Amino acid sequence: MTNPSIRIRGLTKHFGQVRAVDGVDLDIADGEFFAMLGPSGSGKTTVLRMIAGFEQPTSGSIELAGTDVTGRPAYDRDVNTVFQDYALFPHMSVQDNVEYGLRVKKVAKAERHERAKDALASVHLEQYSERRPSQLSGGQRQRVALARALVNRPKVLLLDEPLGALDLKLRRAMQIELKELQREVGITFVFVTHDQEEALTLADRIAIFNDGKIEQVATPAELYEQPINPFVAGFVGTSNLLENESAKTLLGREGSFSIRPEKIHLDPADTTGLQTASGVIREVIYLGATNHYVVDLTTNATLTVARQNLHGASDQNLRHRADTVTLGWLPEHVIELTTKEN
Amino acid sequence: MAASSPGYRKRLASLLAPPMLWLGVAYLGALAALFLTSFWTVNAFGTGEIEQVWNLDNYRALFTISVYRTITLRTLAIAIGVTVIDALLALPIALYMAKVASPRARKWLVIGVLMPLWASYLVKAYAWRGLLSDAGPVAWLLRPLGLDTPGYGLTATVITLAYLWLPYMILPMYAGLERLPDSLLDASADLGARPWLTLRRVVVPVLWPAAVAGSIFTFSLTLGDYIAVKIVGGANQMLGNVVYDNSGVAGNLPFAAAVAAIPVVIMVVYLALVRRTGALENL
Amino acid sequence: MKSIKIASAAVAFALALTACGGSGSGDKGSGGFTAPDVPMAKSLGEGEGSVSILAWPGYAEDGSTDKAYDWVTPFEKTTGCEANVKYFGTSDEAVQLMKTGQYDVVSASGDASLRLIAGGDVAPVNTALTPNYADVWPFLKDRPWNSVNKQMYGIPHGYGANLLMYRTDIVNPAPDSWSAVFDDASKYAGKVTSYDSPIYIADAALYLMKTKPELGIKDPYALDEKQLKASVDLLKAQRQNVGEYWSDYLKQIQSFTTGDSVIGTSWQVIVNTAQGEKVKVDAVLPKEGATGWSDTWMISSKAAHPNCAYKWMDYIISPKANDAVAEYFGEAPSNAKACDIATEGFCDSYHAGDEAYAKQIHYWTTPIKQCLDGRTNVQCTDYARWTQAWTEIKG
Repeated sequence: MTNPSIRIRGLTKHFGQVRAVDGVDLDIADGEFFAMLGPSGSGKTTVLRMIAGFEQPTSGSIELAGTDVTGRPAYDRDVNTVFQDYALFPHMSVQDNVEYGLRVKKVAKAERHERAKDALASVHLEQYSERRPSQLSGGQRQRVALARALVNRPKVLLLDEPLGALDLKLRRAMQIELKELQREVGITFVFVTHDQEEALTLADRIAIFNDGKIEQVATPAELYEQPINPFVAGFVGTSNLLENESAKTLLGREGSFSIRPEKIHLDPADTTGLQTASGVIREVIYLGATNHYVVDLTTNATLTVARQNLHGASDQNLRHRADTVTLGWLPEHVIELTTKEN
Repeated sequence: MAASSPGYRKRLASLLAPPMLWLGVAYLGALAALFLTSFWTVNAFGTGEIEQVWNLDNYRALFTISVYRTITLRTLAIAIGVTVIDALLALPIALYMAKVASPRARKWLVIGVLMPLWASYLVKAYAWRGLLSDAGPVAWLLRPLGLDTPGYGLTATVITLAYLWLPYMILPMYAGLERLPDSLLDASADLGARPWLTLRRVVVPVLWPAAVAGSIFTFSLTLGDYIAVKIVGGANQMLGNVVYDNSGVAGNLPFAAAVAAIPVVIMVVYLALVRRTGALENL
Repeated sequence: MKSIKIASAAVAFALALTACGGSGSGDKGSGGFTAPDVPMAKSLGEGEGSVSILAWPGYAEDGSTDKAYDWVTPFEKTTGCEANVKYFGTSDEAVQLMKTGQYDVVSASGDASLRLIAGGDVAPVNTALTPNYADVWPFLKDRPWNSVNKQMYGIPHGYGANLLMYRTDIVNPAPDSWSAVFDDASKYAGKVTSYDSPIYIADAALYLMKTKPELGIKDPYALDEKQLKASVDLLKAQRQNVGEYWSDYLKQIQSFTTGDSVIGTSWQVIVNTAQGEKVKVDAVLPKEGATGWSDTWMISSKAAHPNCAYKWMDYIISPKANDAVAEYFGEAPSNAKACDIATEGFCDSYHAGDEAYAKQIHYWTTPIKQCLDGRTNVQCTDYARWTQAWTEIKG
């Protein structure tokens, strides 16, 4: 990356004895929709807050568009943030909320007004400008928060769990809106989430955080298809993890491996080129679009197999518990993982 | 539904009757009695016996004798002074308690703020009498700097009352700041506002109802006070002293009642003004 | 706070209403006020085990201030009446507290006694039930401030003068005139103290009586409008130099100790206490004379413990107790026999029993519209007017 929008080197943050962020290096390209994904407490939000300037790093550096901003206060950085709780000013109207950043920067009243109007229009809220935040729904507040941040035309927009407080349906709709908005404005979006599906849907690239460190940075497809270690494999999607003895007996190889459930065939008609194993179905899990079969292999391992529910949910279309089955998979779908010990 | 059954309503009525009776009789009734009394007069010998002759003499005296206007204005000035000082002191203290201090320190700070409330009013007022005395620590500290203790007087009264009522300003402000999400402060900084501007544009407006609630305490408590000024006020007197002197010393309860009506009227006006700012709706 | 005040005002208001209803049946007395018909005790019974006493500071010492001064404990031992003592700071406070009916006896000065009688708060005293009354100086009996139509309303206790106290290390030369707190008060600007009661107007009137004879003041408690105005003007001028007004004798001692006050009116008991605490103070009876008090023990018309109250009134003027109080407080005793056992020279220095001297002290009396000095061509200012004036003086 020749000219990254954000360049982070050796970023570390200690809260007392706790190492919240532990030596993070990261480059985010201009115009990229970048997600930071990880379980709670993994340090992703702290990294975002350090980029925004709300927290000062214990050590390490942050560059924005080639300028070192480490140590600069939040008000002196060309980034804007959409907060998890939206953080709309309760004593101001929607219009005043959106104008706040421009007013602080002493933008003339007419221009300020015009830009705020445009920003509200871009999130379809022009008719709500005189309302107080408390008179809006959750989704509307979310959009005001977006407009308030974008009206300043920052180089980078930071989003802290932006959709976390919305219900599932609204979240899906907002995801699409966010994606469209990012394409429209063309600036760098960095967003923090613990929802892997959201990250896979929205992001160009994803950083997987664990325990204050980044495990892997990759595109959604790479992450899914080529997780580099058991944590990533387990955190992104579901996977069958084969380690030690079970890997040796099943695959005849040393190390840790992952096979995605949908990559495994159930009773394949033609086993040419497949690695196979047989076992007994222990559990059948009905998930609507798919069914998951938990199969105990004769070699003492357990594999989960996902099958699309092509024929509806009637009993005859489902294989039954205690049925004996043969499983088969292509060797290239066995992903070799690096473990910490290696 | 149970909520509308006759039994429920009867129980509700019996539950609410004592407090409503208290409110109606002891609280509003006393106020009405006070107001009525102010239109009567006392017999000539100063034994405090009330003669129920309707007249406006007490109010006439209040408006025509200039000393009462002087005392009213002085009391008002002291109340405003105390309120402003308390607001200015309470804001940084409450801000520190709610937004800076660690949760552990916060607990101790709340106790620290509340602790003076456990001590007797008189103990605190006499403590200030000792502090501000000619031979007291304030004089001892300030004299090397070429300054001196303010001595007993209006300044001492304002200091003492501001000290006495400070917790009543800090606590609502602290509660208000506790409710103010940290993210609002982050958001303001994020949008380019320096800390001062954040204080002015976000913290103070959000805190306004809490400050108004606090000011109602400090303002009304000061308006009615007569003890602190007796202890540290030197030769000065406030409205409360006139009430006390007339009810206690002169036994002229009707005139005392008329004087006592002044702070009531001032508070009504004050609350009306506060209401217009809309601060009461947000309490 | 305010609601408490209003509530208490309402209680006072209710009390005042009942007082109103109860006092309607009295006769018009000669003093220009109504003496209500309150029954007098005919005989004494057994003690009730306790008595509630309202007194000037120093009048009922039980050894807690100073072990050497204790005449309450002997009383409790001989009579079996446990004494509950409350001290008050001004006559006005005493009148107000007596209205509550919680106290059995009170040591009332002349400016309180008549108000108490008129208010029906105290009962006539049957002097036959207090044997020591026989030894009281005759010139203290049947006086205007302790009797109505030859009926005693109390037992004379003692009399004395308001003194001029000063810090010996700061006030130089030692003052001998009230001018030190009036015309020359600016010398100690901000450190002058005065007694916080409308009755203090009489001190200014007394000073004017001697220094401005043209005003024609003959009795500092009988002031017409013009004379009152002159006194008020003098006090307003004094106000510029007053550091604080005092009514709490402990506060008075404290401000002389710290030097916040260096000169002002005081009582002998305050001087004694302060000197006992090694504060450099002394006091004089200035050459203009002084206002003062002649106190009377009175019994409440609502006394819950009348028998113990009578026992106290008799005990407190018994020679030994009367002498002890007088010497401690710094006043002349009322019992002639007290002087027989008093410290050598004490009674002489306080001119005890000297009728001519006693007449020189202008005892606190409640000012009323009828001039107390006998003038009939003019109306005098009453205590309500003085109270108003006092508020104006303090400003």
